[in-house]
Amino acid sequence: MRRLAVGERPDWRGTARAHGFTFHTIDGAPYWDESHAYAFTLEEIERDIEGPSAELHALCLAFVARAVEDERILASLAIPEHAWDAVRDSWRRGDPSLYGRLDLAYGGAGTGPAKLLEYNADTPTALYETGVFQWLWLEEMLATGRLPPGSDQFNAVHEHLIDRFRRMPGDGTLCLTAYADAPEDRGTVAYLEDCARQAGLATRFLDLAEIGLSGDGRFIDPAHAPIATLFKLYPWEWAFADAFGGALRDTPTRFLEPPWKAVLSNKGALVHLHAMEPGHPNLLAAYFEDDPQAACLGGAYVRKPLHSREGANVRMVRDGRVLADLPGPYDREGFIRQALAPMPAFDGRHALVGSWIVGDAAAGLCIREAEGPVTTDAAVFVPHLIEAP
Amino acid sequence: MTPPFSKHRKRSATVSLALVAGAGTTALVLGQVDPTQREEDVLVYPGPDACVSAAIRTEADCRRDYAIVRQAYPEAAPRYGSLPECEAHHGPAHCLTGAVVAASATGRFVPMLAGYLLGRRPDQGLPPQPIYHHRPEQAAHAHAGHGGYCTSWGGRVVTASGGTSSSARVASSAVRQASFGGFGRTGRGFSSHGSSGHGGG
Repeated sequence: MRRLAVGERPDWRGTARAHGFTFHTIDGAPYWDESHAYAFTLEEIERDIEGPSAELHALCLAFVARAVEDERILASLAIPEHAWDAVRDSWRRGDPSLYGRLDLAYGGAGTGPAKLLEYNADTPTALYETGVFQWLWLEEMLATGRLPPGSDQFNAVHEHLIDRFRRMPGDGTLCLTAYADAPEDRGTVAYLEDCARQAGLATRFLDLAEIGLSGDGRFIDPAHAPIATLFKLYPWEWAFADAFGGALRDTPTRFLEPPWKAVLSNKGALVHLHAMEPGHPNLLAAYFEDDPQAACLGGAYVRKPLHSREGANVRMVRDGRVLADLPGPYDREGFIRQALAPMPAFDGRHALVGSWIVGDAAAGLCIREAEGPVTTDAAVFVPHLIEAP
Repeated sequence: MTPPFSKHRKRSATVSLALVAGAGTTALVLGQVDPTQREEDVLVYPGPDACVSAAIRTEADCRRDYAIVRQAYPEAAPRYGSLPECEAHHGPAHCLTGAVVAASATGRFVPMLAGYLLGRRPDQGLPPQPIYHHRPEQAAHAHAGHGGYCTSWGGRVVTASGGTSSSARVASSAVRQASFGGFGRTGRGFSSHGSSGHGGG
């Protein structure tokens, strides 16, 4: 794994415009950064990322199967009791999932196995950038001779998404919802809608505020037509707490991601995964903060709220010293402490490997690069390649 | 570990976008037919005495529910801009000048209260509600006197046999009102940057 100065394509902004990539710059700050790229060997991808990702996802599914039958686990994850049946029923029915992103600390061959930092199993973004714009980058770099022939990329996300939509049960319709005024979320959902249409589904987008609840408990559109399946880029813990949260138990509407993903998109899952497989090479030791065992991590740990996005409320401690302590609103539901996995640094930048799961398959990766040790919403998206053999 | 995962290429063979690139447009009607629609049994009476003498619900229930409905009617009744418009929905001589019913209906027209609807069983938890005649002249022709009613938001209620029967089996959605805006509030509360919240990460 190397960080290469490859240089920008002269007209990448034009390419972005032509392909609907509207959020490459967010609030005036760059988000897409192709001045550099990360290069992997095929062995690093397959042995260290693809294989372990599929295995970690399978372990996560085994954990969900256990969690839904154990109220102590559901309570430990701060899933409100009124949501337990929705979570359990969606799992027992076998409601399919669409996608998720495992965030891994990985520094290349010879630096030890990739370590799971968290599983964004419910509302991951950076999907369009991965599946489309990163792919276009590689194709154009190859076509213009700026990368050696035979260079490749671990990125079958687009194909996998369409294939997964094709296999979705249901009546052939799909509603998608998110905050329409959040460009990154809206862009991600627009991309998923595109994939769903290519898979033959009849789709449409509704703003979150346009979703209604009929008197008989089904979710409906503004014209009162029932919604059979709803993709929501809106975290389950928020939906559970909303006014409609109480209707999730009995509604015939089905969701992507299904409610059982709330078990995984929760830092408490990291504690239970570690307890299930304490010697797993890809798992870090983790404990709930109020567990006396957390003391065994000593002065080297990361404290994370059960729910948080983009590094908010994360505190990183090394040698008993606070390295980073990020502000945020996610401080009310308890914390975990996870053993510190030093983020590998390349030219002084920290790179986080996001490993995509589509369906149950490891489907590709993305890199977020940050100056500080915690990956926040200021981290830039940097493309990657697999070096020609 | 290597061989089982190896494929010739690790990336998508083609990536194309139908919507974003403007290559395709589709106007699709999403499914409206809903085979799983829930139904429930309701009772319909012109007033509390009919409810009491039917003896399906208790006298106390009949009178309490009617009082609730009388109180709700002035604000719950639908409003129309003109008398013909109101009568087209509710039948000739079934509409009132709004000011008679409620100050908020001044200058508008509202249907007369035709009666009230309540759940057949208390455990249905169905809120009692006002009902209005729904195109009575049309119902008389089509259904030989079957009672045709509607709720404040247009849900249809047709009683089983003739105007004297009080029973109806109706779609739940006709008698339980839909609500909107129940998703999104929690996330807005987490908006930390002064702008909109967002749910992705």
